[in-house]
Amino acid sequence: MRLLLTKVLRLFPHPFRQQFGDDLIEDMLAEYQRAASGGRGPKLWFIGTCTLSLLRSALAEHWSPSWTGVKRTLTPRRIEATMLENWTRDLKNAARTIRRAPGFALVTIVTLGLALGANAGIFSVVKTVLLDPLPFQDTDRLVQIAASAPGSDFPDEFGVSAEFYVHYKEHSKLLEDVSTTNSYTNTLRLGDRAERVRMSSPTPSLFSTLGVVPLMGRLPVSEDENVVIISHALWSTWFGNDPEVLEKTVWVNGRDQSIIAVMKSNFWFPSDDTLLWLPDELRAEEIRVGRFGSRLVARVAPGVSNEALALELTTLAKQLPERFGTSENYARLMEQHQAVVHPLEEQLLGNIKGLLWALLGAVGIVLLIACANVANLLTVRAEQKRRDVAVQMAMGASRAQLIRAMLAEALVLSALAGGLAMAIAWTTVPLLVRAAPGGIPRLDDVGISIATLGFTFGVSVFTAILCGVIPAVRASKIELSRLREAGRGNTSRGHWGRNGLVVAQTALALVLLIGSGLLTRSFLQLRNVDPGYNVEDVFTFQIAPESAHLTDAATYARFHTDFMDSIRALAGVESVGLIENLPLNEGTRGARYRTEETGDDEGAGTQLQVTWAGPGYFETMEIRVLEGRTFQQSDHTSSLGNALISRTTANLMWPGESAIGRRFTPEGTEADAETWTTVVGVVDDVLQNDFRQTANPTIYHPLVQPEPSPYIASSPAYVVKTRRAETIGPEIRALVKEAAPGAPMYRMFTLEGLAANSMLQLKFTMLTLGIAAALAMILGIMGLYGVLSYVVANRKREIGVRMAVGAAPGRVQLMVVGQGAKVILAGVVLGVAAATVATRSLSSLLYQVENIDVATFAWTSAIMTAVGLLATYIPARRASKVDPIESLRSD
Amino acid sequence: MSSMKSTPQKGLSNLEYHVLLAMATEPLHGYAVKSAIEAESEGALNPGAGSLYRVFGRLMTRSLIDEVAAPNDEQHPGLARKYYGLTALGEQTLASEARRLGAVAALAAKRLGITE
Repeated sequence: MRLLLTKVLRLFPHPFRQQFGDDLIEDMLAEYQRAASGGRGPKLWFIGTCTLSLLRSALAEHWSPSWTGVKRTLTPRRIEATMLENWTRDLKNAARTIRRAPGFALVTIVTLGLALGANAGIFSVVKTVLLDPLPFQDTDRLVQIAASAPGSDFPDEFGVSAEFYVHYKEHSKLLEDVSTTNSYTNTLRLGDRAERVRMSSPTPSLFSTLGVVPLMGRLPVSEDENVVIISHALWSTWFGNDPEVLEKTVWVNGRDQSIIAVMKSNFWFPSDDTLLWLPDELRAEEIRVGRFGSRLVARVAPGVSNEALALELTTLAKQLPERFGTSENYARLMEQHQAVVHPLEEQLLGNIKGLLWALLGAVGIVLLIACANVANLLTVRAEQKRRDVAVQMAMGASRAQLIRAMLAEALVLSALAGGLAMAIAWTTVPLLVRAAPGGIPRLDDVGISIATLGFTFGVSVFTAILCGVIPAVRASKIELSRLREAGRGNTSRGHWGRNGLVVAQTALALVLLIGSGLLTRSFLQLRNVDPGYNVEDVFTFQIAPESAHLTDAATYARFHTDFMDSIRALAGVESVGLIENLPLNEGTRGARYRTEETGDDEGAGTQLQVTWAGPGYFETMEIRVLEGRTFQQSDHTSSLGNALISRTTANLMWPGESAIGRRFTPEGTEADAETWTTVVGVVDDVLQNDFRQTANPTIYHPLVQPEPSPYIASSPAYVVKTRRAETIGPEIRALVKEAAPGAPMYRMFTLEGLAANSMLQLKFTMLTLGIAAALAMILGIMGLYGVLSYVVANRKREIGVRMAVGAAPGRVQLMVVGQGAKVILAGVVLGVAAATVATRSLSSLLYQVENIDVATFAWTSAIMTAVGLLATYIPARRASKVDPIESLRSD
Repeated sequence: MSSMKSTPQKGLSNLEYHVLLAMATEPLHGYAVKSAIEAESEGALNPGAGSLYRVFGRLMTRSLIDEVAAPNDEQHPGLARKYYGLTALGEQTLASEARRLGAVAALAAKRLGITE
């Protein structure tokens, strides 16, 4: 009996036999013995029915296997274990399959790796600059307060005046804390070292408003005078992390200030190059009313909306004229005044935010396109393996298994690509940071972090699913009838999936192309901007002379003019000039001025920028003199009360009249003969900060002006016109050593370098986006080409038949190109639609180009279409070369 | 690639239910399950050995039961038997099927006006 059973059991599939065979035999033997004890009849009956039943089961097991030998483990968590085992097996299989197709694997991994690498790189910047919390407490309750006065001659938005701070602080119920904020550069001295650094003079409440504590030392209080809080960066670079620093003083803003605190290394405000803070309390009895221009930073009480706050602050400002007894002009302005409240985060990161998200979007698009290409490659591979798949299905493989197997392949590919991406990010992020424009906070902290790793991993898995799922689902839909098809070509049906991918690719690539087109146009336009000066062949630097005899404005002026003479004597120097605030490097300061013709009401004057120019400045910079003359030597050394003004100033103060000989004075000063300044010349406008802004109205005082307290130009910028602008630095340094031993020389640039710097943000974005767009276009075209080639190859037979019945090769070509053109056009239409929205994120970078610029949209679309059609041409030609006889014979 | 016909993921056949039920208290070997089923179904179910082990196969594939270590103290004539027990999923599935059957039985009782 055992022998018989063993023989019958052989009919069962192997896995079943292995698992249940022995038990089955034992059970049957036990039953047999029971039956046999009943006599010969029951025994034979049992043998018969038992054999039949086993045969039926064996057949059924073959038809529909109940047990396929999923590996046994004696764990209760069978489901997870099984899933894991299945995946492990599929991943191993996938790795094997991929090893067998190295070319395909290489193309896929490099395509995805590049795209993922770009994403990892940009993400690491976004993460550090935008996503990491700002170094303040409850940043969402921090706001910046400014003012607006619709209907007045004030700008759309402007800084408030000191009395706003005082009044808000005393009376606002919605504010927990408020502080002024500003940012400027001034000379900082410590022993022999002197440099112009960025600093801020907020009210002492700044630190409590932001909710920060120092690393060491104490926070300032209202009563503090002549104290300074230094940044961690200053502490480590100037003091070598000296723990005794709190007892020291630095010389800044014209006096010694004692250091009371060192901030933590992550703290920065309002910019990350601010090195020190000089707390300066504003008291109601000391402030000058109506000096607009400073922004406030404030902490809002929990749960208060910005709108509610703006409403309260607007109401409070209406009380200002009464409290401070101001002029009628001021009262009128307060009638129109409306407080403006912005989230602080938006103000600190606003400009950069759009830029970085746009870049991340751009590389995201490249990734999507790369995914589409890889999805296409996988689909083509799946089609090639169609017969294998059909066989597997015939053998009982479920759809889930097939999909899993294909996804496993995509996962292995994208995991390898993810590895490549990390390597790319690792090497390119430092380059990216170096190439990035200045003014991006925390850029120096950017690096590959765990977050970047996690992001890349997550995106890789997402990529795998994106790439793998369409081909997998499509491939698993294969009907078994395919087994009978011996690989005959089919017609165009069923290509919608791939066509859709190409439409999407074309659209996405076009979005990037349009974006970089807009930026390129802006860049070209900016390069053609006339800033009002010539940036060629100009070397600039600053020195900080410090000497006991340099005490008043006149001796400073003499020092500078003498030193300029010694520079002028150097070989190849054409001219030398001096300016307090060099364009493209330092901003000027603003104040309100009135003319003799306007009254002395507060607010009646004109907001102007003011700076101090030494001899030779206008000649060296080649700034045109429109009227009158520039300064003479005597203007700089003795106070004659002369000044130059820019063209815009002349137009604002004396519209339609000659400004020469006219007089002006700061608003709010007692006007007597001493304080009036006389215009002796009008010079052309210059662009002070960058090439995008319109020129500010500017006043140029000579070095010793204006009375009654002459301004000390202690550390102005020298400009040297010479062909040797790149190399003259060391020679000048030698002169500095002679003329002012121990005086530091710093801020050395060529003016051309500064001009390039000012366009760096645009250039950087333009290049990054340009590379992304080029990559996207190449990938997109590859996708289109691949699809059409595939379609042509697949329709060879049909094309052969057409040609056999007399279709001209030209017609066949047209047919293929037409098919490609449809896809391209759909992509272009979609891309243009998407770009109208997407290009909004670039608005802040564009210069004299609308974000929906018809010309740019048109020519980029034309390029996209042309290149796309070119890609269809090669497959089309191939189609027209199909030999009808051969194609029909080939099956 | 191993071939595997996907089995319905929901619901249990009558025989599958009884197999799970038999294993609910402790892991059993095949023959013990067969005996238990015959007893618990009051003779309504009398699966052939081939059919029974195919049910085992299906339930294992669905991770409802699994082979477990044989109890040490049990001695059997002949070859060592393989023991099968419920997995956590098997327990859940059995419980929910029992609830479903209970509800169906209650519904039938209500419709037919049977009160216990």
